[in-house]
Amino acid sequence: MKIKMNFITSLCLFFPAILLAQSPVSGFMKNKGEGAAVVSYSYEKYDKVFLVPAEIDGVPVFNEVSVSSISLYGEFGITDNFDVVVNVPYIKAKGSASEQVLANNGFENERKGIQDFQIFGKYRFKSFGFEKSKLDLIGALGLQTPLGDYKANEGIQSIVAIGNQSTSFTAMGIAMFKTNAGVFTSGQLGYSIRGNDVPNALLSELKIGYAASKFYVDAFIANQLSDKKGTDILQEGFTGFFPETRVNSTRIGLNAYVPIYSGIGLTGGVNSYIAGRNLGKATGFYGGLAYSF
Amino acid sequence: MINKNILSKMLLAVVATFTLVSCETESNYEEEVPSIANIAVSNAGFSVLEAAAVQGGVAVVLSNNNPNDASGDYTVFAPTNDAFARLGLNEETLGVLQTPFLTNTLLYHVSNGNLLGNAIYGGGSSTSVLGLDRRFIERGNDTFINGSKILATNINASNGTVHVIDKVMIATGVDIVQSAIALQSSQVFTSPELSFLVEAVIYADLAGALTASAGSPSFTVFAPTDQAFKDLGTALGLTFTVPADIRQLPKDLVATVLLNHVIGNNGKFTSELNAGTVTPLGGEDLTLGAFTNGTLTVTGAGNAQAANMVIPDVQTTNGIVHVIDRVLLPNLN
Repeated sequence: MKIKMNFITSLCLFFPAILLAQSPVSGFMKNKGEGAAVVSYSYEKYDKVFLVPAEIDGVPVFNEVSVSSISLYGEFGITDNFDVVVNVPYIKAKGSASEQVLANNGFENERKGIQDFQIFGKYRFKSFGFEKSKLDLIGALGLQTPLGDYKANEGIQSIVAIGNQSTSFTAMGIAMFKTNAGVFTSGQLGYSIRGNDVPNALLSELKIGYAASKFYVDAFIANQLSDKKGTDILQEGFTGFFPETRVNSTRIGLNAYVPIYSGIGLTGGVNSYIAGRNLGKATGFYGGLAYSF
Repeated sequence: MINKNILSKMLLAVVATFTLVSCETESNYEEEVPSIANIAVSNAGFSVLEAAAVQGGVAVVLSNNNPNDASGDYTVFAPTNDAFARLGLNEETLGVLQTPFLTNTLLYHVSNGNLLGNAIYGGGSSTSVLGLDRRFIERGNDTFINGSKILATNINASNGTVHVIDKVMIATGVDIVQSAIALQSSQVFTSPELSFLVEAVIYADLAGALTASAGSPSFTVFAPTDQAFKDLGTALGLTFTVPADIRQLPKDLVATVLLNHVIGNNGKFTSELNAGTVTPLGGEDLTLGAFTNGTLTVTGAGNAQAANMVIPDVQTTNGIVHVIDRVLLPNLN
């Protein structure tokens, strides 16, 4: 029963990830030879921006920006204690500037393409069994690198860029505590070293949820704190190169999964940035189809 | 077992504490002072200025400290959306301006260092980063920079000071003739303007008189738009389609009419003009209407209707040009 529960819950956690503050790795592990593949669609939109010192109403030039993506996600258990996670998103960012404003500036409303390839290895290095619960300690290492040749250096146009064209390395520690009744909570803390002048960032996430054979649900709060060497948009040091801005964020959200038939299930969730720095105040949702084996 | 339980709870507590402490909150930075660019972007009343700053390429400049002043500061006289609207300009229509002209126009609103409100007084002046001076003028209880009323002063920015004005300031950096030619040759608007006026000045051999030279006088010039000349043609029973059509009129007549638009008074901004009469070089008085909302009407002795200023207060090197929507006629009888 416990194995079954882990198996199901491990399918479903982390899809909208890539642009997003939510971590691509969870505290659930695959058994050896087992895996999951997910195709998901996500959509988020913002018309307010967290700038310093205050939030502004209306995205400069583009008024409102929506970001939609289709992601392919896979996770596979190499051993019972070592999983590999990969993710590739195709992203479309779309502004709402009028034709006239676009013509005035030589801008375009849309940027789209394959963004970054992301791969994580995660290793459960310690597991504590208790009477009615279990604590796993997991370490994860990840690489994210641009797959597409999308542009990140188009000045103000890059308000609708789909990524930072940056290669990053992330190390992460995860503590996962779950009870036999299905309630679980996990915390993760990581640090990401980033290229292309993107400030390095401290990442953290706290999640609480319920995982049973018939469904899975969790709520999370995720943070990114960028190094202070990053610049603030339209403040001293800003050069018009958005990747070097200091992006902080606090995002909350819900994720859910229901199995449908023979390893196939549906996943979905909602999420919203509740605070941030140099970031669109986006709210979004996602849905996806998961297949596990 | 107990130890492990404690360990697990401690671990989660550490992560939980960290996650919550690392939450991004406004209090982390709400004490920071916005830059001049940030003020424009944050304030709905400056949305056209914001768009102009993006289009004109000065948004990044005004985000940063001023490298050309020891204080690191700029002073910006920021036109409101209403100020742009006076010229028919908004986020959408800014494209009628050539980008270099827009950039220079924005920079004419900027000076090095902090010029605070208490240092702004009638009779004083300030040099813009373009190198061109702006004049301060007192009128009643109001203070003007050129023809623009200062609506608010001393908005503090991380890289300087912002004052709010009710009109966009325009300076060409060249003399009256060259300014008109700049409009005629589409260096200001993307389509030509004042092309009939330029043609008329050349036809009437007045270009020399209006060209700046050492010791030459400065003027106030009322410059009729192309449409104003076309309307005049219609009123005269002629058809003015292209500028050369002005040559259907006798040269002397054109010269007389043109001289009716030029006042040898050192060049006055609207803020310095009053209701009453002024005498142009042509000799027959023009009548100025009341100073209302920053402009005045002007009527020639031969006009049935007053002309309105469509672009007031254009500073040139030898005078001030007010673009008007009607040709000012002397008594031609």
